[in-house]
Amino acid sequence: MNVKIVVAAVVIAAGLMLGVMNFMESNVEYADFATAERSGRKVQVKGVWLRDQESLFDSGKAQFIFYMKDDSERVMKVVLEGAKPNNFELAESVVAKGRIEGDHFHATEVLTKCPSKYEGDAEAVKKSL
Amino acid sequence: MTAGIVGALLVKGAFLAALGAAFFYYRGSLNRESLVPLARFSYHGAVIGLMSASAILLYLILTHQFQYAYVWNYSSTDLPLPLLVSTFYAGQEGSFTLWALFTALIGVFLMQYSMKREYEPQVMSIYSLILSFLLLMLIVKNPFEFIWDRFPNDLIRTGPIPAGIGSYVVLDSVRSIWAQYPTEGKGLNPLLQNYWMVIHPQILFIGFSAMAVPYANAVAGLMRRDYTSWIRIATPWLVFGAMVLGLGIILGGYWAYETLGWGGFWGWDPVENSSLVPWLLCVATIHTTLVQRKNGAYVRTNFALSILTFIAVLYSTFLTRSGVLGETSVHSFVDPGMWVYWLLLGCIVLFAAVGFGFLWVRSREMPSQPVQHSIFSREFALFLGAFALAFMAIFVTIGTSSPIITTIAKGKASAVEMSYYVKTNLPLGIVVAFLSGLGQLLWWRHSHSGSVLRAMMPSLGLAALATILLAIFATEELAILLLAFCSVFSLVANAQVGYGIYIGNPKFVGGSIAHIGLALLFLGFITSERYDEQKTVTLEKDKPVEALGYEMTYKGYVPVDRERYGFLVEMKKDGKVHTVAPTMYYSEFTRGIMRHPDLMNLLTRDVYVAPLSLEEATTGRREHMLELMKGEEGAAGEFKVRFTDFGDVDRMAMIEGREFTISAKLQIREGNSRPKEATVTILGSPDGMKPVPVSMKTGDGRSYNLVLERIMPDREDPARSKIAVKVVLPEDPSARGTGETLIVEASVKPLINLVWMGTVTLVIGFLLTIIRRVQEAWQVDPSQDP
Repeated sequence: MNVKIVVAAVVIAAGLMLGVMNFMESNVEYADFATAERSGRKVQVKGVWLRDQESLFDSGKAQFIFYMKDDSERVMKVVLEGAKPNNFELAESVVAKGRIEGDHFHATEVLTKCPSKYEGDAEAVKKSL
Repeated sequence: MTAGIVGALLVKGAFLAALGAAFFYYRGSLNRESLVPLARFSYHGAVIGLMSASAILLYLILTHQFQYAYVWNYSSTDLPLPLLVSTFYAGQEGSFTLWALFTALIGVFLMQYSMKREYEPQVMSIYSLILSFLLLMLIVKNPFEFIWDRFPNDLIRTGPIPAGIGSYVVLDSVRSIWAQYPTEGKGLNPLLQNYWMVIHPQILFIGFSAMAVPYANAVAGLMRRDYTSWIRIATPWLVFGAMVLGLGIILGGYWAYETLGWGGFWGWDPVENSSLVPWLLCVATIHTTLVQRKNGAYVRTNFALSILTFIAVLYSTFLTRSGVLGETSVHSFVDPGMWVYWLLLGCIVLFAAVGFGFLWVRSREMPSQPVQHSIFSREFALFLGAFALAFMAIFVTIGTSSPIITTIAKGKASAVEMSYYVKTNLPLGIVVAFLSGLGQLLWWRHSHSGSVLRAMMPSLGLAALATILLAIFATEELAILLLAFCSVFSLVANAQVGYGIYIGNPKFVGGSIAHIGLALLFLGFITSERYDEQKTVTLEKDKPVEALGYEMTYKGYVPVDRERYGFLVEMKKDGKVHTVAPTMYYSEFTRGIMRHPDLMNLLTRDVYVAPLSLEEATTGRREHMLELMKGEEGAAGEFKVRFTDFGDVDRMAMIEGREFTISAKLQIREGNSRPKEATVTILGSPDGMKPVPVSMKTGDGRSYNLVLERIMPDREDPARSKIAVKVVLPEDPSARGTGETLIVEASVKPLINLVWMGTVTLVIGFLLTIIRRVQEAWQVDPSQDP
């Protein structure tokens, strides 16, 4: 058996292991608030931002607070580390990444999913006639 | 109306011509040389057709022809000229057009170039096939689509045309069918409205287009059973692709850093990753081809890597354009529809099948070169370096494909965290940094450990010194120290070797300079990303605040242009005053607040100020928000508020859509006095829910308000349902109001200029290498390898 090949095989295997482990570890699963509460793990929750409820920027802590309803219709307070994301008003749904902390969902990141973002829809056409 | 029809026809014509060129060139390669002039004619026809179609699209944009869906979607009449021009490639259709256009134009040079090397029929047949696929994309995703074809139900009408309709066009005068179209476009996304938009996409697409050339060369080599000299022809293009794409990537990073406010220049976003992967593979290919030039090894590897580089371009396009990443990306990608999805997928399968199929068929007859070098040789260092680069490409691809992988494995798409990329790429980056220095010091075939060690002394010594200093002044994790060590080692080693080469033959110094650039880039990454300091600062107007060694004062805002405002922040240090003006504004386009940072670029660091929010001046009245379950009590200033029960709800009114009220009963205690009862309500009507404030008085006559902000029902356990009550406390003479307050995130990024310096150095290195390799490719005799 060629020593070089063995060494190479070991290096490749180790590298792949490292990659796979990191991949599994850093893959943040989708969940709803109930699952997030049960597992206590870092998850991402998809839902809609409740526009009729208060949303504010807490300047003291530099946190943005809003209320979100997940796909299982559960409403929860979300505290985001940072400012209101760009395009937040336009978002038809949002994805919050973080974990449950006490009475709220503590998000490190909030992604916005915009309605076919930069493509005009029929409504926009009518407006620009 | 005719211009668009002509444009669409030109695209179709160009597609047929490119396909024809591919066919005639292919026949020409099979000893039917008489067909080659026809193939050339056909190719030039495709180029002219596409150029004319692009000119028409540009004309439609410049003259604001909003009867075209694409023009309406991305431009408007109020854009300044450079940005108006840039809307050409602001959307899917236009950016494919740009890509196809650059591919077509590069092909004109490639034709001349390969003609002299007698490679033309094979190279151009493959290349024309690639071009025809890009053109097919433009037929599927037509940039000249009329807006009424996209929205027929909203725009196409029949019957007489009413008076006062702005813009309309009669489609069928016999049956009186006509269509109305917009008089103003939707405009360009404000995030794209700056000068980067004018240059960055173009550079990136030139890079993408250039990646098709090594592929075409590799397949041509396989067709001709030429397993060695194709490399000399392909190398200048490989280096050109790496240079342009690399520059495009870094410029994109600078755009993100300077304007988009990502806080750093690299966010491991799918869009960034998708251009990084082809770049990594291209650079790996450059290195393995060096070995083959020297001693004939890695024949198959070089074919495979060249093919893979182009497949990576296609796969990246598929990932970012087909909508498969969905909502897992910061960028939302428009789902372009089934056709584009399958066409892109088909493209990958076809070109992978052609490339690897040929490679598989030919690989049995390829010369098998026994490995003649020892582990302690430059060849082996090059191989390992390329190996590490390819591994990086694999890891980044896996990470970026995570939504697809998890969809298949778990049924639900999820993306990986940024930490995945850092953890996997950092060790490989260390290896690459080390090898980029070591490889230069090693000899071909075999090196004598003694002489190499002697040569390594200065660089190892300086690297050790720098690392010790770093460890003392900024304690950090081991991996970062290792990366710093290897980068300094590579920097010094390459400077040392580069100087020696420069004395001998200045033309050959490109490689060393590119490596110096890479080492500078690495060092810049370390200092600016790992040693940055960040702080959220609350700046009340005209009140200085100490932060990060600066005295920061918010001085109010000034209008920048029609909708933007700049928020002036004075930064004072050692008596010197700089003013930065991050911008924030409400954008009609996104219907949201847009924020752009501003930065102070100093020699040794950047000071980066990103706006978070502007708080209006407040009076002394404070508010408290309480969330209470039934029976729970909360404190708000001097009050204790208990939520005792819900009031009755008129469910019939609710169901019938009449006005109804939801109410909650509260008990309020002021200090130790007897509790007061209060009922707070929300008035529900078909128009929505509206809280009704309740005014209260304290024992000593001060007034305060209670507002039932909302109800948060818990369906599983109604007893856990909560209410949110806002308590507006009585005016407090001792509390003062605050002035207008700007909240910013300030950060200091030390030595970020190393990143930009590294980029420039890298590009210069590539440029010198291109010049050298082009001259070499012109030499007629292939046996004259240096």
